[in-house]
Amino acid sequence: MKKIFAVVLALAMVACCFASCGKEQGNSYTANNTEYFIGATGPLTGGASSYGISVQKGATLAIEEINAAGGLNGVNFKFDMKDDKAEPADAASGYDMLYEAGMQISLGSVTSGACASFAEKSKNDNVFFITPSASAANVIENANAFRVCFGDPDQGVLAAQEFVDKYENVGVIYDTSDPYSSGIFDAFKAEMDNLGASFKVQTFDAENKKDFSTQVEALKDCDVIFLPIYYTEAGLIAKAAVAKGSDALIFGCDGLDGVAGQIDDTVTNTIKYITPFDVNSDAAATASFVKAFKEKYGETPDQFAADGYDAVKVIFEAMKAAGVNDVKIDPSTLADKVIAAITSSSFKYNGATGEMTWDASGACTKVPQIVTIEK
Amino acid sequence: MGKITSNVKNEFKLKYLINYCLVLVLLLVGMVMMFTGGLKMSFARLLTQIGFSIILAVSLNLVVGFLGELSLGHAGFMCIGAYIGGFCANALSNYIGSKFLVLLITMIIGGVIASVFGFVIGLPSLRLKGDYLAIVTLAFGEIVRNIFKNQKAFGGAMGLSTGPIQYDTRNNMSLYIITFVIALIMLFVTQNLIRSKHGRAITAIRDNEIAAKAMGINVTFYKLLAFIVAAFFAGVAGVIYAHYTTPVSYTFFSYNYSIEILVMVVLGGMGNITGSIIAATLISCVNFFLQSRLSGDLAALRYLIYALVLIFIIIFGNAPALRPFKEKYGISALSEKIKKLFKKKKPFDPAAVKEDEGSWDRIPTKIDMDAILSTDINPEISGEQENADKKND
Amino acid sequence: MITLIDGLSLGSIYALIALGYTMVYGIAKMLNFAHGDIIMVGAYAIYVAMSFANPNPVIALISSIIVCTLLGVFVEKFAYKPLRGASPLAVLITAIGVSYFLQSVAQIVFGSQPKPVSGWKLPKIEFLNQFGITTGAVVTLIAGILIMVALTLFINITRTGSAMLAVSEDKGAAKLMGINVNKIITITFAIGSALASFASMFYLLQIPNAEPTLGAMPGIKAFTAAVIGGIGSIPGAMLGGMVLGVIEKICLSIEVISPYTTAIEFSLLILILLVKPTGFLGRTTKEKV
Repeated sequence: MKKIFAVVLALAMVACCFASCGKEQGNSYTANNTEYFIGATGPLTGGASSYGISVQKGATLAIEEINAAGGLNGVNFKFDMKDDKAEPADAASGYDMLYEAGMQISLGSVTSGACASFAEKSKNDNVFFITPSASAANVIENANAFRVCFGDPDQGVLAAQEFVDKYENVGVIYDTSDPYSSGIFDAFKAEMDNLGASFKVQTFDAENKKDFSTQVEALKDCDVIFLPIYYTEAGLIAKAAVAKGSDALIFGCDGLDGVAGQIDDTVTNTIKYITPFDVNSDAAATASFVKAFKEKYGETPDQFAADGYDAVKVIFEAMKAAGVNDVKIDPSTLADKVIAAITSSSFKYNGATGEMTWDASGACTKVPQIVTIEK
Repeated sequence: MGKITSNVKNEFKLKYLINYCLVLVLLLVGMVMMFTGGLKMSFARLLTQIGFSIILAVSLNLVVGFLGELSLGHAGFMCIGAYIGGFCANALSNYIGSKFLVLLITMIIGGVIASVFGFVIGLPSLRLKGDYLAIVTLAFGEIVRNIFKNQKAFGGAMGLSTGPIQYDTRNNMSLYIITFVIALIMLFVTQNLIRSKHGRAITAIRDNEIAAKAMGINVTFYKLLAFIVAAFFAGVAGVIYAHYTTPVSYTFFSYNYSIEILVMVVLGGMGNITGSIIAATLISCVNFFLQSRLSGDLAALRYLIYALVLIFIIIFGNAPALRPFKEKYGISALSEKIKKLFKKKKPFDPAAVKEDEGSWDRIPTKIDMDAILSTDINPEISGEQENADKKND
Repeated sequence: MITLIDGLSLGSIYALIALGYTMVYGIAKMLNFAHGDIIMVGAYAIYVAMSFANPNPVIALISSIIVCTLLGVFVEKFAYKPLRGASPLAVLITAIGVSYFLQSVAQIVFGSQPKPVSGWKLPKIEFLNQFGITTGAVVTLIAGILIMVALTLFINITRTGSAMLAVSEDKGAAKLMGINVNKIITITFAIGSALASFASMFYLLQIPNAEPTLGAMPGIKAFTAAVIGGIGSIPGAMLGGMVLGVIEKICLSIEVISPYTTAIEFSLLILILLVKPTGFLGRTTKEKV
């Protein structure tokens, strides 16, 4: 009895497959596009979803602004982000879905691991992507890959240089389960060793990232605690530091942006972080982005949102500079044009995260600022 | 009585053939689409995913359904296979040009190493029962990925990059073919194991360990055997995964994934291989369609819908209160009707069939004969037996 | 020394969660994988109550208890009750379904950004603070022990408690003795969920962030703790939680092995179970043919 059910089901499935997949044949997936299609994958569910959702919000805002201003030569843009749960396998599947839905250009993936998978896939098809926030070094090693944020190694080196003469006791807490965090840490450690400075290390990982009393206790005597991690845990560490009576300076990288929303007035430690994006900045581009974001979503944007916003705007500007005017343009041709445009010395983009230029490596050059939160 | 045995044999054969057919159908779907040019990359990936999900579900079923030990660490074996296999493949691809050969060699390496760990994890099962064993297997899975996470040689937190050995490109999508062939081999091994005397020993241990021991069955050997075979195929599935995704990230192999495999087994029915195949296909497809349809702002609904589907299927499939309802309108009732239609056409002697049914009905046994033989047992009786089993537990 | 105290304070959170696990397991004989997510809902209930004007921790706790209890009973009625008498694995899978469901609802309602819960300030105890002991840790520890004692008394003294014991011993016989088994199981869930709301409050005291995935990892850790202690045993859950918390903190405090904390924790778990197959305080049952 079960067998027959099974056979019926199998047959039904076969029928479904043919019905759903028989329709679209041929390899030109962009032939039916009426808008320029920007695709991306990011974690929209699960533990990392706040990053993906922020990028999604920023990118959507940028698309709306571009379309309201008439698009590119009157052609609108559309943006679609597939959920990848920060998982490489899902990012690769998401990439295929987007490519087959007519994606022409992309924001890659939000997180580093997933973006490495996305990069591998997009290399074969030569799809241009500029990732808002995947900062690991190997993400942009292919010619078609660019990014908006800082790379991990740069930040680690920068932090080490910042500390070396100013502070005696340096402590680090980093996340061994996160590519972003361990990427910065590795560069930081190398630079510190290089400069002949010593520091204490404490770690945590995805399974133990709630209670930081031990780590803070071990670094109680440090003048500065370096946190190459994300703001959620940094907020908890700041609170743990208060509870433990440590008044060390908390110093972080761009992942710490957003920490202001995670701490309350009980936190007395000074928090500093390297970031290209400061919500309270007076720069016109940043201020107008923050204002528009607050109006649309009723919340303060974080760096992920700013990066997502900038990435879309950069794509738009680069396409404009490249003189693209065919809505059905295939991704590979578009990629060659956009790469040529974005790496040309005259291309500059002044966005919410500052003024940026790119070279062929795909890395973004912009001026880091150090934001200070003091109580 | 001679007739009964022959009938049982036929039932066995048919039951097992169906499973081969199911996998072959999936394979053919892909092949036909490939030759007509309609096979998209995303669908080829889905097929591969279905393939290794089937391998995982059926091999886990061997432990959970046939041996009767709850394992929550199947993803751990897969993790070992994926990391070791990926690592070896990266190294081998420098010396061997053929990707296919690399895949085959690493499959064996990954599978064997995973089965060594299967042996290690099988050992506690000799001493621990039920939920305690379940937590040990869960712990095993978490230990494995924690260790791989901290190895710089395996890529650390970023995961092991397996870019050079990625199998599929848009012009050549054949990983799913290999996966399904492996699935067929796995079915062949598992099903022959189950129908052999070793398989009967394994099910005997499930039904009553002490009685099995008393009958002279080497419980230690058979428990370990089941764990080793299951771990081997999970390792092989892991190697396929390494050729399917880069980087191989430890995050994928969390207990959540072990549980997803378990869901496939439970949905399909414990000790029911056909069920596992269908459930693995179904869950992979549901995941795929939810990911492709629910993007952007709607993505938050993905797990909501998944959860509701899961709860609904389980309640519909298992709730005692729904049993009369199911008997009237459910799938088994439907298939019963279809079967009746078939029976009329068959030129069999109806008297002989009835006689068989009658004698099977009267065998008093605790074993769920329905699942094992899938002969026509009156559903009411099998239901009562299930209840009796619960009470005895 | 301080590591030990930190471990105990973390362990007391695990213990509180494990109490709920073990209670439901002991009586209903099911692994309620959604328990961690009920804690998450409780944490959001506190977050909402605390975000009103004039936040009052007592009102927040009470509202969280009400929300959790109702949710627990509701989940039991709609997801688990239809499966009474079905395979325990089917119930396990349903619990996982409920867990996914609650997580995605929380994400849809509150967003995935962690919500910092603040507004209550515990008075600093200077004497203890010198040694690096936080007030939250002390309060959690005391509350954990109090709740454990209360629970043990409840089960051993009241009529409902003895009915629960009877149900856990033998459902069929309990039914024959005139005990309403369904009602008892519902009450068990209600109590287990109320415990979850206490757990969420003490969790927030030490880790002041409410997020959709809040319950997942502590849930697994607490489950582990319950198993170490002998699942089904109330003092065992307490003990298991403490042991797990201390082990975790000791591992984290040693730099070389700290990345391997999870591996060591779980390896110890396996060792403990190999030596004592039913945990520290679990009962061994004779098996019959």
